[in-house]
Order: sequence, then structure tokens, then C-alpha cells
Amino acid sequence: MHANVGDVSARSYSRRDFLRAMSAAAAATLPLGQPRVLRADEPLQHPRPTADTCILLWMAGGMASPETFDPKRYTPFEIGVPSERILCTFPSIDTVVDNIKISQGLENVARVLDRGTLIRSHVVPDLGNILHSRHQYHWHTGYVPPQTVACPHLGSWIAKVRGPNNPAIPPFINIGQRLEGVGESEELKAFTTGGFFGSEFGPFNLPFPTDAVASVRPPRGMTRERFETRQERFRELLRRSPFGELASDFHHESMLRAFENAHRLLSSRERAAFDLALEPRPVFDRYNTGRFGLGCLLARRLAEAGARFIEVTTEYVPFLHWDTHENGHTTVARMKQEIDRPIAQLILDLEQRGQLERTLVVLATEFSRDMMIEGVPGSNARDQSRARSDTMQQMIHYGLHRHFTGSGAVLLFGGGMKRGFLYGETAPERPLVVTRNPISIMNLHATILAAMGIAPRTAFEVERRPFYVTEDGRGQAVRELFA
Amino acid sequence: MLSRTVFLLCLPALHGFATPVQAQASKPIDFAHDIAPMLKARCAECHTNGKYKGSVSFDTREALLKSKVVTIGKSKDSEVYQRITNPDKDKRMPPKGEPLSAKEIALFKRWIDEGLPWDAGFTFKVTAYVAPLKPRQPALPPPRPGLEHPIDRIVDAYFQKHKVALPAPLDDTAFLRRVYLDVIGLLPAPRESESFFKEETPDKRARLVGKLLGERRAFADHWLSFWNDMLRNDYAGTGYIDGGRKQISAWLYGSIHDNKPYDQFVRELISPSAESEGFIKGIQWRGNVNASQVIELQFSQNVSQVFFGINLKCASCHDSFIDNWKLDDAYALAAIIADRPLEIHRCDKAMGKTATARFLWPELGSIDAQQPKAKRLEQFARLVSQPDNGRFTRTIANRLWQRFFGRGIVHPVDMMANKPWSEDLIDYLGVYLAEQKYDLAKLMEHILTSRAYQSKPAILEKEMPGEDYVFRGPELRRLSAEQFIDALWMIGHAGPPKAAAPIKLPEFEGSVPPERRFLRSSLVNADALMRSLGRPNREQVVTTRPDQLTTLQALDLANGQILDDTLARGAAYLLKTHDRSSDLLLIEEVYLSALCRRPSAEELATAQALLGSPRTASGMADLLWAVFMLPEFQLLR
Repeated sequence: MHANVGDVSARSYSRRDFLRAMSAAAAATLPLGQPRVLRADEPLQHPRPTADTCILLWMAGGMASPETFDPKRYTPFEIGVPSERILCTFPSIDTVVDNIKISQGLENVARVLDRGTLIRSHVVPDLGNILHSRHQYHWHTGYVPPQTVACPHLGSWIAKVRGPNNPAIPPFINIGQRLEGVGESEELKAFTTGGFFGSEFGPFNLPFPTDAVASVRPPRGMTRERFETRQERFRELLRRSPFGELASDFHHESMLRAFENAHRLLSSRERAAFDLALEPRPVFDRYNTGRFGLGCLLARRLAEAGARFIEVTTEYVPFLHWDTHENGHTTVARMKQEIDRPIAQLILDLEQRGQLERTLVVLATEFSRDMMIEGVPGSNARDQSRARSDTMQQMIHYGLHRHFTGSGAVLLFGGGMKRGFLYGETAPERPLVVTRNPISIMNLHATILAAMGIAPRTAFEVERRPFYVTEDGRGQAVRELFA
Repeated sequence: MLSRTVFLLCLPALHGFATPVQAQASKPIDFAHDIAPMLKARCAECHTNGKYKGSVSFDTREALLKSKVVTIGKSKDSEVYQRITNPDKDKRMPPKGEPLSAKEIALFKRWIDEGLPWDAGFTFKVTAYVAPLKPRQPALPPPRPGLEHPIDRIVDAYFQKHKVALPAPLDDTAFLRRVYLDVIGLLPAPRESESFFKEETPDKRARLVGKLLGERRAFADHWLSFWNDMLRNDYAGTGYIDGGRKQISAWLYGSIHDNKPYDQFVRELISPSAESEGFIKGIQWRGNVNASQVIELQFSQNVSQVFFGINLKCASCHDSFIDNWKLDDAYALAAIIADRPLEIHRCDKAMGKTATARFLWPELGSIDAQQPKAKRLEQFARLVSQPDNGRFTRTIANRLWQRFFGRGIVHPVDMMANKPWSEDLIDYLGVYLAEQKYDLAKLMEHILTSRAYQSKPAILEKEMPGEDYVFRGPELRRLSAEQFIDALWMIGHAGPPKAAAPIKLPEFEGSVPPERRFLRSSLVNADALMRSLGRPNREQVVTTRPDQLTTLQALDLANGQILDDTLARGAAYLLKTHDRSSDLLLIEEVYLSALCRRPSAEELATAQALLGSPRTASGMADLLWAVFMLPEFQLLR
């Protein structure tokens, strides 16, 4: 405080005095960065949860909604067709819901759409020149980077506020994304974190579903017997350690508690949930379209075992998968093969096990794509298409190669959401912007959080400032989406 | 104090829907932004902070309700509302100045009708403590035998005043381990420990402190992490992808190694050369950025946090609600570095005003806003480190104290406006640093040779957050990620061959034993284990690391592949180098290396069982693991 400076500035004394007053009170007593839940005068009312588990299916790299869940007028590939005539590159197909058509290649999802809600009006902000990981940061934390404090991932918020479903299973599990050896990995790490909640609420990362079991097993090459003996001897050394007088210190105590928790997970029955080899072969095969498909299977097992929040990603690798800067049609056809069967199977399996009621499955992406427009109409963002051409000359030109933020598709299954419901609408012609019921990241988060029983105004105090789960606590759940 | 802050608040420019349709959200009353500024401007003078005209207090929500002028949910029945809308000038509130505007009245009404929302903990009452700016040399209390050191004279008087028993002196073993890890971040080699224990001169501890501070290579390897965290410097990280960030590694390492005087060090960061400009250049992500996060405001936030323990993050978006810094202050600092006129934005909305370059404390001197940027930065750098600025030396002295004791004299370390547990002590240390010509090594030596530092730890059953904190001695501290991993690498000879940091590393001093000559973890990129153990993403300024182990971290220690591989390499090395030693000697070596002591007979038996008979590679690895997992190893006592 600079209140000791003498009244040299132009401010009047009373104002200065007053401002000093504003700082009083609950003078911060925790180190910066250690969050404390805010207690309002009236306790924060959390909504009654309609879901106990959340599975986020992340279409990393920008899934084009006209090619998937919001098909438009179809223009087949033909040499010489003007690019600007193309809105999408697949014909549409019927779904089990009368008024909803989606894109060819998603026949399995089309058959389970009566279990969920399709949103076509998700709008994300245009942040200027596109950097995927920055939009992903925004989507996953609710905040646009850079930020002055480390923002927690949505999964960390849910893990922190709702706690574990089962203490033996880490509450926040992140399946399918490598954080080393891929482009923008530093940027990915920046939001794949518990942020100011610390690592207790950070993600348990399982980049390769078939290797997941290794993360809850003794280290490679160590038998369980050796593992248990090692633990036993460790406890013995601990008992024999001459520093008994330190044992009551909280640093000491919390350290031992953490060790015991970890050992409990490594010895629990639930660890079998991480082992895909225990799955019957036909089921394994049904999911096995690749890493994403097996990720869905792993998510199903972990949800059943008691994980609270699970993300399964198609994995973000610059210029791969959904990140189609060229040859989009061919790539998207393959991506649909990868996601269609496992997503439908996941929904059916959850339903069959009676879990869908209390499990919210969300499918989302950082933004959509368009053949012509980068960002939004009128944006001066740099065009990043690698296959620019005014007319179709080769297959490589055929696809939606520009990042589009004006509209996007989201699926919500189970967890208290309406079934067979369509929300929002986009223009029939370019620009394919939202024409009805736009829903922002903030309000989509508020909706997901409300389903999970978390008030969008929930805040923690960080560096003496409140930090809200939705920006400034302003998120509002879209009630219309709830059954 | 709990305002909705922020910086993060309102990002209208970014969030405007790119569609023909606007989302309609009716915004509930926001106390911090809608109400508090109005109350503070129009009601506070007469109705807060000890002055409660008409027995009406706006200090807190409770006080206001007790004043019986508000009926929650019913503005029409509330006297305060009747008063502000009263057409009779003599009865209307506020009595001075213009009546409240129609908009303000409408907000007031909604505020009452919506249940009088009030941010938790917020009060208008003045805090009693005002941190001084000027340096102050306190009078030293008289010495008592064994407590002649100036720090101990102050601390002893403090103990007496607070009726705290003098903590017991630290034994040689704990001191040795503590001081090695604190000064150079490493454990002593077994032979160093033994010769220290054998030595019987009265000044052996002081000489050890001097020797360690003289090991400049090891010292720099260790303190690099402290500064990397604080200055957001790393060898990989966000921003580098687009050239939106620049390393200062070589400059930083060199400055630490050469013990550059702290005032000069800071001047070179603020008014930089090409080698040191990375800090003030900040981190830029591709794309548009909220007004409160542009590079100029990053400068303002980071400079004030790192060098003065001031949080300008609130004030980067609007006048702060948690202290008295204002939007203008944050922008005035930002304007020092701005290349073009910097328009002030409140919550991302342009205010139609341009910021003028100015330092936080105008009485320390001014900056000529007409000068070009390089000149302004030069002037600023001089103001920051000028001798009348006591906050400058107190802030760094407090950070060092926190590192050595687990908790600052002012707590937390980034809130230097808070009341220290001993004003005399923090003031003394600040003045001492200035007297020693800003020599940080001298200040460290001064602290480390005190009896206060060489005391047994105070056992805390829980965290002591409150203002009623009483210093009772050093706290137990957790090893940092780097200290933990360096210990592993040293004992098992298991470190990497190559640095990631683009630094030309100086030679080790001649006295450094072979065990301690290796490439340290501070010089390589963070891997999953280091991150798990608390090495931060250096996106934000980090001044303290988490002090408790979490379950996920413990899991990485229980079965993580990186640790397991490191242990296996270490075990192979130890077996190879000890193939002729007895099991007893091998185990003793492990205990001496890791814990600076020999094992008891009981411990020896357990260790022997772990090692196996005959010893095996896996037994050796398991022994290392078990010793490394002991709190005695992972905590600094």
C-alpha cells in the first residue's frame, strides 16, 4: 500500500482514506496461489445434480459441423466447381429423430440421437489469428490466455467441487492426448492442469488407452509381490526412523497420507478398470477403431468404477485428424469412421448398464470449419488453408480448410438432458452463422456444471481475488436443454 | 475485499457473438462493480470506518442490516432508498453534491430488491497497518550471551515479547543438510559430511556457509530455478512457438553466478540489453488479447509483483478492491514501456484517456514521459532501485527469509503491504542489504549464520494462516522438484548428459568433490516427474512452490516410469562402484548420502532385507526407493 506517501497526489484525502479501507478486512493470510473457497453471506446454492459423472468427447483440431452434425447443401467433387459454392462435402442422412439429419458416415450415432440433444448454435469468440491450443485453452478452462493466474481445467473444477465418486479412482482422467513430442505441446500443457488447485486436482493422463493399466500397476518389470514387500519395508524404515517428534507436523503427515492414498489406488480392486485386456474380445473389437475408440471403452470402464470427469480426445496434433488444412473430405471421412461406432456404443453401453441417466456425455470441439471464411465474416485473421484454389482441381482442394468460429455443433447425451432434441439453428447459406439460440462457451459450461450440480457462480479465492468457474460468475445454464 | 475482479472479467470485444443474434443474459447485480464504487464515492465518507452518522454503518453487510435502514428485497420500504430518492434537499442523501443519478438509483433499488448481495468478507473498515516505504534502521536490542548476532538480538526480543521459548539449536547433521540444500540445492557428499562432523572449531558452521556461497557454479545451478520461476524464464514453454517470448537464460545464469549486485541485476532486467530483455517482453500468444493482458500490462503486473510484492492484477482492469492501487497506477507503469500512446481500458473498454508514464510512488521521483522508451526505462530502473525505496530491499530480503525458513516475515511474500511479524527484522534486513551494496550472497550469509536459522524446526500441526501468526522457528520444508531429482542423480550417478538451457556453463571450483560435478535438473526441460513434483509451467510468475505432496504426485513416486528408470540406473551404478564393499558399507553410504547420517542397527536390518542376500539390482533399487520416500529425506528439517 502506498498510503504512507503523504498527500502528494491530486486525490482528496477522504478518497484515499476510503480506498485504503477497501483493502481491510479479511486480509489475506494464505500464500498467493493457494485457493480458498469463497463463503458468501448466504451459502452458495448448488443446483441439484442431474449427473454424477461427465465424459467429454473432445474432437481436437476443429471439427467442421457442416461435415458432421449440421449438414448443408451437398456439392459433390467435380473438377472446376467453384470453391465458394461448396458448403459441405458429404450428403446428409436421416437419423432416428424425425427432424434431424446429420452427415453421411455417422450412421451409428444417427441411431442413438434419440438419447441426446444436438446443439447447432455453439459460438466461440474469434481471437484473431487462430492458434488451436489457445482456443482449446479457452474451451477447457473458460478463460482466454494469457491469464494472470493458472486456470484450472473444467475437469479440475468438477473434481475439486464434487470430489471423487470413488476415492480409489482419480476424479479427473484425461485419455488420449500426448503432452510430449507433439506440436504446441507447451500450449497443451498450459491448460491440461489443475491450475491453482494444484496437482491433487490435475488430470491423470492416459495418452494410450491400452497402456492405461501400466499407470496403476507396479513399475514395469516389478512383480506385485516385490512391490508389496517394498512398501512393507518402507513402512518399517519409517517406524524405525529416529524423527518421531516431527511426525505430528502437517507437512510430514500430509506426505504420508499421500503415499498411503497412492498405495491404496495401486492395490485396489478398482484398478482393474484401467485394464482393457479384461474386456471381452467382441466388445473390445466393437470399440477398436483406433486410440479414440479404445479411449471410449476405457472411459466407460472408468466411469463405472467411479471416475468423476473423463475426457477422451481424438488427440490434437497440428495438421492431423480434425485439423484439416488440406484434403479435408478424405480426412474427415476417416475421422468419422474413427468416432462413429465407439461413440454410439458408449451411449448404448451406458444405457444398458443403467448409467446413462446419471452420466453426461458431451461431444465438443474448439471451433468449426468453412471452405471460404477464416474466423468470422470480416475477420482479418491470416488464411491458413494449405490448399487454396478458386475451383476444385484435385481432391486435395475438397474440404473445409479454414477455421470458422461463427457456429459449431455440440452433442449432449444422458445426464438429465432432453432426448431427441435439437437446439439452435444456422443459416442455410454462407456465412453459416447462428440464426437462433446462440450458446457461448460460458453458458455451455454453466449448463454442464449445472448438470453436475455446480453453481456457475462457484468461486475460489486466489491471490485475494475471487476466481469463478464461469467467467466473472456470469455463466447461465440453458434450462431448455434439461429434460 | 472479494471483489469480482478483474482482468478476467468482461471481455466484450472477444466475446461479441459473431452472429446476427445476440445472447440475452440479464445480468444480476454485481456488488463489486455495480455497488461498491458507488458506496465508496457517495456514502463512505460519513457512514464507514468509525464515522457512522445517524448510527448508520455501511462497513459490512451485517452492519448495514443492523442499522435498520434496509429491508431486504423491499426497496420501497427501505429508509435508505427513501432517502436517496427524497425530493426534499434537506432530507435527501447524500447531503453533499449532486443527488444520485437515475442510473445509480436504479442500481441501488435493484441491489436491495435482489437481496443486498455483498461479496464475502468485504468491508469498508480501514486496516490498521500501513506498510512504510522508506528504509528504517531499527535500534538493536541488547545482546544476550550466544545471541549476539543482530538477527538474533531482534528475534530474541521478539520471542521474549511473545513469550516464546528459544527453539533448541540444530544438531550438526540437520544443519549440514539444511545449509547445503539451501545454498547450493544439493546434498553434501559423504566425505564432506564426515569431515564436517569431525571438525571441532567453533566457527565451522560459519566457514561452511562461506565455502558454499563461494561455490558459484553450484550456487547458480540452484538459484536459477528460483529466478526462472519468478522471471517466467524457461527453455521451452508457451509463446516460444511464434517468437512471442525470449529467453534470458544466459544473462540470468551469469548474473547469479557472478553475484551481480541486486540493484544492478534489477536495473538490467528493467532497462535491458538484448540478453536480458526477455523478462519485460512478456509472453505473447498468437491472436488478440484482452486489454488487461497486453504486453505493457504484463510488464506492469510482473515488475510490481516480483520486485515489490504488489499485486496489480486487479488494478489492470479497474481500481483494485483489495488494496488502494488504481487502474491509473497500473497503466502509468505500463506506459513506461509502451511504444505508442497507451489508451486506458476499464474492463476491456476504452476510457478515452491516455496513460502517462509514472512510478507507483511519485514521491520517489518522476519519469519524463516525453523521453523515448529506452530513456524512460532507464529512469524507471533508477527509481526502482533508489536508496529511498525501502520496499525494494524488504521484498527481496523477505523472499530469501521465506526460502530459508518456510515462511516470510511478511506473509504471503507477494503481499508486502501486509504486516510483518517483526517490523524491526524486515527493516533491519532491508537496510543491511543496501549497506552491503546489494550483495545477495552477503545477506544470505548473514541470515544463515544466525542462531535463528540454526534452530530446530517448529512443529506445526496445521497451516498457520492467520494474522495471529507467531514466529517460533523455521518450518519443515519440502524439497523442491529440482532438489529431489538432483539428489537422485547425484547418489545414483543417473543424470542426463546434456543441458537444454543455452548457457555456457562455467567450470566447477577446484574444491568440489566428484560426486557433485554433474549436470543439474535446473538446466534441462521439465519432464513429467519434475512437473509432478512441482516445477511450474512458467506461464505466470511463481514465487513459492506448493509445500505439500499430493496423491497424484505420490503415485508418480510409487510407480512412475521415470523414477523407476532413474532408480534402476542408480542401483546399477552403486552396485558397480561398491562391488568390493560389504553390504554394511554400501548401506551406510546410501544413508550418509541421502540423510547425512549412519543407519541405526534396526534400520540396517531392514535395509539389509531390502537389499537382499545376496544383493540384487532390484533390491538395491528398492532400498534407494525406500530411503528416498522417507519424509526425513523429502523434508528439510
